[in-house]
Amino acid sequence: MTMGKVLDPTSTRDDDVASPGPDAGLLAGKKIGIRLDQIWRAWDWIAEDWAAKLEDAGATVSYWRSCGRSGEEGERMAAELKEWLTTIDMAIVGLANCGSCTGWTVRDAITSANTGIPTIAIATKNFEDFAHEIAARGGRSGLRVHVLPYPLNEQERGAVKAIGEAHFEGMLHDFGATIAMREAAE
Amino acid sequence: MSINLIKPSGSKIAPVPKPLVSRDCGPAGCEVDWLASRRHEADLDFEGFNAFAMEKGWGDGLPLVPPTESRVRMFLAENDRFPDEVIAHLPPSRAECTVEKIAINAVMAGAQPEALELLIAMVAAVADPDFELYGINTTTAPVYPAFVVNGSIRDQLDIPYSYGCFGGVATRANAIGRAFRLIMRNVAGQVTGVTSQTTFGSPGRLASIVAGEWEEKSPWAPLAERRAGISGNAVSCFGTMGTMNVLDTTSQAARDFLEQIGKSVPYIAANCYTPAMPFAEMMVAINPICAEIVGKEMPNIEDVQECLWRYASVPADLLQRQHREQLEAQGRVRDDGRIYATPEPKDFILFVAGGLGGLHATAFHSFGSCLTQTREVASPIPASQAQAAE
Repeated sequence: MTMGKVLDPTSTRDDDVASPGPDAGLLAGKKIGIRLDQIWRAWDWIAEDWAAKLEDAGATVSYWRSCGRSGEEGERMAAELKEWLTTIDMAIVGLANCGSCTGWTVRDAITSANTGIPTIAIATKNFEDFAHEIAARGGRSGLRVHVLPYPLNEQERGAVKAIGEAHFEGMLHDFGATIAMREAAE
Repeated sequence: MSINLIKPSGSKIAPVPKPLVSRDCGPAGCEVDWLASRRHEADLDFEGFNAFAMEKGWGDGLPLVPPTESRVRMFLAENDRFPDEVIAHLPPSRAECTVEKIAINAVMAGAQPEALELLIAMVAAVADPDFELYGINTTTAPVYPAFVVNGSIRDQLDIPYSYGCFGGVATRANAIGRAFRLIMRNVAGQVTGVTSQTTFGSPGRLASIVAGEWEEKSPWAPLAERRAGISGNAVSCFGTMGTMNVLDTTSQAARDFLEQIGKSVPYIAANCYTPAMPFAEMMVAINPICAEIVGKEMPNIEDVQECLWRYASVPADLLQRQHREQLEAQGRVRDDGRIYATPEPKDFILFVAGGLGGLHATAFHSFGSCLTQTREVASPIPASQAQAAE
């Protein structure tokens, strides 16, 4: 055995925000943004159903759809996202349902969380660990992630609707959101 | 219908030429220690070091050369770079990729010191936001960056551009691609099953593809000159799903060859028809025999691109309804009822390479909206020469 010193080939970042950021709190009167993409129709369906529930709770909902992320298209997307984030009080960001789209979902969620607004990313089960890993590497290990079952996009509309219905309360819980005060007022 | 055209982002910063002068004092080192990496006590014997490296997560499974301080110093001493110079921040880890980290990984891979400037250019190229390395390093797809090298550096580094240029040639240049892959692992943080979600992976993720263009056999200007006006040493990187062989033992005329290639390239599950992104590029390597025939009839490469592009489409009704509807929503079905592989002919990126047996072309399908990047490979200026110039 010949012992000696070798140089470390790795490089890591040390900065991290372990906090999940502020709770969403009471939804009534809030402007809630939902990030969509071009791939997952199941996420469009769930977003549509959740938006109706959020509006029932007294919130208003706007959407932003992520498209191409390179070239002029990518620059336009980045500018659009930045602008959209100034118009909302909180963000629901999906869908982490593949490798690159989990990357971009988490990246956009971090961009949102870094503005200081309550933010939650939505992932499917098989990409849950990856979403947390990529969030940590992006400097926000505490990013909120709500998990939907996998496979999701392969399901029919009715099944997806049932999943969205079943997960709405859980998403609100993970988001630190409440509609209780409004319900109490009613 | 509104086709989304490929336009590079406008935020690029033009590279500023600068003398490359080393602060390294050579293998013996100097009073100021410019190497910032953490030192690890390790067994330097073959079995011991490789077990250590694998345990640390540094390795790709093949034998590694221990990156001792003296080896890394030797590597740097034969170049003219500051070890602490930051070349890029690489996703998904967004960690700093310094010249020192490139050198350490190059030593581990077995690359020669003369390859440093090429490796730096490769890293700088993939770090361009238009290359979409974030998606490449995380996706479920098998994509990896492939590199085409122009200029005299091809021969200096024994980079293959003739027989077997995309794999199988016994050359130390293979270690350049492996060094790049180790940088993706150790600096960018691309680890299969952890950050990379690739479903199947690819042999190209072990040592990539680092091939040259056979410029001397090309009837057209070198790829880097056509793309970026660079007439000397340069590298173009392309995010590819892998190599696709196109066989033609029958054609005789230029347009026949191009029809065969053009019609072979598009298939409905190719990246160019994913609804995830609005556009894609396509790279094609034309063999020298075919290039000579095509070049005689089409001395302008734009005519070759146009001809290929016209053949490279599928009828929209070939796609299942759900798939077709997504592309229709993106405005990608043209008035002729077809969906083209790329938005425009210019998005077919062509170069000449391969053996003199001809008969085959190689197509490289792209990934997502990853856009090909071309960078100049810097020529080191010895410190004494730079100081004399001052």
